[in-house]
Amino acid sequence: MVGRPRTGRRRKRTLGNRNRREQERDRKVGVGVLTQGEREANKRDFTKLELKVDHSNRPLWACADGRIFLETFSPLYKQAYDFLIAIAEPVCRPESMHEYNLTPHSLYAAVSVGLETETIINVLNKLSKTKLPKEMIDFIHGSTANYGKVKLVLKKNRYFIESPFPEVLKTLLKDDVISKGRISLEVSSFLYYLAHLTDHILSKTPGEMDTHSGLLDGADLAAAAEEKETHSFEIDPAQVENVKQRCLPNALNYPMLEEYDFRNDTVNPDLNMELKPQAQPRPYQEKSLSKMFGNGRARSGIIVLPCGAGKSLVGVSAACRIKKSCLCLATNAVSVDQWAFQFKLWSTIRDDQICRFTSDNKEKFRGNAGVVVTTYNMVAFGGKRSEDSEKIIEEIRNREWGLLLMDEVHVVPAHMFRKVISITKSHCKLGLTATLVREDERITDLNFLIGPKLYEANWLDLVKGGFIANVQCAEVWCPMTKEFFAEYLKKENSQKKQALYVMNPNKFRACEFLIRFHEQQRGDKIIVFADNLFALTAYAMKLRKPMIYGATSHQERTRILQAFKHSPDVNTIFLSKVGDNSIDIPEANVIIQISSHAGSRRQEAQRLGRILRAKGRLQDRMAGGKEEYNAFFYSLVSTDTQALYFVSHFVKFLCFLTEMYYSTKRQQFLIDQGYSFKVITSLPPPDTGPELSYYHLNEQLDLLNKVLNAGDDAVGLEQLDEDADDIALLKARRSVGSMSALSGASGMVYMEYNTGHGKKTAQGQTKAKQKDPSKRHALFKKRFG
Amino acid sequence: MVNAIKGIFISCDVPMAQFIVNMNASLPASQKFIVHILDSTHMFVQPHVVEMIRSKIAEFREQNTYEKPA
Repeated sequence: MVGRPRTGRRRKRTLGNRNRREQERDRKVGVGVLTQGEREANKRDFTKLELKVDHSNRPLWACADGRIFLETFSPLYKQAYDFLIAIAEPVCRPESMHEYNLTPHSLYAAVSVGLETETIINVLNKLSKTKLPKEMIDFIHGSTANYGKVKLVLKKNRYFIESPFPEVLKTLLKDDVISKGRISLEVSSFLYYLAHLTDHILSKTPGEMDTHSGLLDGADLAAAAEEKETHSFEIDPAQVENVKQRCLPNALNYPMLEEYDFRNDTVNPDLNMELKPQAQPRPYQEKSLSKMFGNGRARSGIIVLPCGAGKSLVGVSAACRIKKSCLCLATNAVSVDQWAFQFKLWSTIRDDQICRFTSDNKEKFRGNAGVVVTTYNMVAFGGKRSEDSEKIIEEIRNREWGLLLMDEVHVVPAHMFRKVISITKSHCKLGLTATLVREDERITDLNFLIGPKLYEANWLDLVKGGFIANVQCAEVWCPMTKEFFAEYLKKENSQKKQALYVMNPNKFRACEFLIRFHEQQRGDKIIVFADNLFALTAYAMKLRKPMIYGATSHQERTRILQAFKHSPDVNTIFLSKVGDNSIDIPEANVIIQISSHAGSRRQEAQRLGRILRAKGRLQDRMAGGKEEYNAFFYSLVSTDTQALYFVSHFVKFLCFLTEMYYSTKRQQFLIDQGYSFKVITSLPPPDTGPELSYYHLNEQLDLLNKVLNAGDDAVGLEQLDEDADDIALLKARRSVGSMSALSGASGMVYMEYNTGHGKKTAQGQTKAKQKDPSKRHALFKKRFG
Repeated sequence: MVNAIKGIFISCDVPMAQFIVNMNASLPASQKFIVHILDSTHMFVQPHVVEMIRSKIAEFREQNTYEKPA
C-alpha cells in the first residue's frame, strides 16, 4: 500500500478538504468572492518554494500557513514523527502522508518539554524539503517568545517562580497581583540558593533522556542544556492560583510551566513502591514517560494514548517513579476498581497502602503515604456528605499529593476540573486520555489547568506494531420488512419506533448470521449490546444466549461472566447498558451493537476499548501477519429509520477517535484515511433460508404483534439507577433523564440512601426508583433535599 | 369499454413503497393519489404527485441523517 503514486492523490484530497473548510469560514466572515479567490490562489501556489538539492532525503513539506506534511515512507519518518508530534498538532494521519498544523498551543507544549525556539526552527529546517517560509519562522518566534520562560517549581513545599531571564521576572514583579504574592526577598533567595544548589548537583547525573538518532540530537541537547543560570523568587502558596491566573495569555502572557523536583522532596514521605519486573513498558509507553521525566523532574501534562494501548501502565509507572502519595481520579466506580487492580498488578504496592474511595467503597486511608483511587464526582461533590466520606475527603484535602493522576481528562466537565484541582494540593498532575477532542471545546482549559500535551501516539503505528488490535468496523444495513415499516410510519406508533426498528426481522437475521459465523467459523468471543431492553430479551431468548441487564443479580452476573471468560460453550453474551458502568466488560474480539442510542462517546469508547486490546500471538498481529483483522465491531442498522441518525453519530465517533473529519461521503473517506470501515448491505446472504429465524412471513408477523402489544414502558430504553459516580457527557447524551440528572445533581445521591438498587423482580420494573426530591417525605426533604 | 388513466409507474424498494402508501393513507379521500399497488416494490400513481413524493422522501431522509453541526 505504501507507494508514491497514491500519495499525490491523497495529499490533494486533504488540500481539497481544507479548501472547503476555509471557503466556508470565509463565507461566514463575509470575504468577497474575488478576494477569496485571490487569497486561495496565493496560499496554494507553492511554485515559488525552492526545493533543496537533496530534497528526496528529507521527509517534510512545510507551508507558509503553518501546515506541515510528512511522508511516512521516508527513512527518517520515525525521527521526524517524534519531532513533529512534539511541536505540532496532528490533523489527519492516513497511511502514507500525515498532515500537521503548527498552533500556539502545540508550540507551548513543545517549549514545555524543553525544546527551544531556535532548536525547533533548526530541526524543522533540516527536515524540510524546502527552505522554511519566513511566515512560519515568524510564527514560531511569535508563539514561543513568552512560553516556557517562567516556571513554577515546588521545592521543599515552597513555591518558586523561576526563570533564566531576569528581565522577565522583573516584568512579572511589576504586576500588582504577583508582587503581592511574593515572599520577602532576603529569606527566599537564600533558601532558594540552597535548594538550587542541591538541584544543580543532581542534574549532573545522567538524566532520563531518550536517545533519538541523527538529526534530532539537537532537540535533546536543548533539553539537557536547560540547566542554565536561573533566577527566582518565592511566592505565597495561598496566592499560587491567582499568580497562575495572572500569567495566562489573556493577562501577562507568560504561561508558567509546572515541575516537581520529587527527588529532592524530603518533606513528603516516600511511598515504597516499584514496578514489578514483569511490567515491561512498551516503546511508546517508555517514550511518553521520558517526556514527562525529561530532566529528572516531573512535568505536569497530558499523555494521549488510544483505548486499549495501556494507559494504566503509564499511570502506574509514573507513580512508581515519583514514589510519593498519589491521588488517582477515574470517571466511575468500575474504573476505580480497575485502577486499584492495575496498581496492584503492576507495582509492588502493599494492599494496605492503596485504598478506594467511592460511594459504596469507603476504605480508610492508613499510614503516611499511599495511593487513593477515587472518582471526580466524589472529590468535587459540593453537597452534604456522610460522616465517613467527610473524614476521607478532609484527609484528601489536607494532604499534599506527589502525583495527581487523572484518567479520561477529556470527558470531565471543565468546572469539575477546576474544583478538583483547587481542592487537592498536588505537586504534579498527569492527565491520561484517548483523545484530546473535547465535547465542550475546552482544550484551552486543559492546557492551563493540567499542562500541555506531553505525548500522543499514532493509532495506525500502534496497530501496525501489534500493540492494539486491528479492528474491522462495519455498519450492516438491514432493510426494514414491509410490515414493520408500515407500522413504523404510523403516527400512533411513534412511542414504539425504536422497538420496531430494533426488532426488524432482517436485522435479527443479520445478527444471528454474524453470531453463527463468528462462533463456528472463527471461534470468536462475541458481545452483543442492546440499549433497548425489550429487544435484548427477545434476541437473547430466541437465540438462547445468556444476557445481563440491570435486574440481573450479582451472583448471576458473576456466573455468566465467568462462563463467558472460561467456558468454550459460552461464546456469546448479551449486555444491556449496564455493561457500560456497572460491570467490568469482559474481553472479546467481536462486538455487535443491535441498538445504540448514540449516548456518550465515552460509552462507545469503552465498548471499542474492549476489543482493541490486542489478543493472540504477536507475530500474527504484526503488519503482514496471518490475520488481517483480529477484532470486529458491527453496528446493525435498519435503513430508512431514525437508527441511521444514530449510526451516523457512531461514524462521527469513529472519526473522532481517529482524528478524522466527519464527512457525508464517509465510507470512501474513512478508507482513504487508512481506517478500515465498510458498509455491508447484503447480510444475511440471500441464499440463507429457514436455518435463520424469522424466515417465514407468519413468524415475522407474530413478532410484529408481540412488539405492538408490548406496553410502551417495556419497549423503551432501559432505565438504570443513576450511577453515583458516572460522569456523563451532557451534550451528547440522549437518555431520558430528569433535569436534575442533566445538571449533575442526581449524581450526588449516595448509595446508602439508595438501597433498592439491583433488587428488582420483574422486567417491567426497570424504571428508575423514585428519587424525585419533591416526592420525598418531609423529614428526608429537610435532610437531603 | 377500456378505461385508460394517465399515470406514473413508480419502482422503489420495500420500505419506500410503504412510505408512499402511508403518505397516501394520511391524505383525505379526495387527494389520494395511488391508482394501483402492483406489488411490494411497484405502484401506479397519478402524474401530478411526483414532485410531492420526491420532496417528502427527501425530507424524510433528511430527518434520518446526522449532519455535523457547523
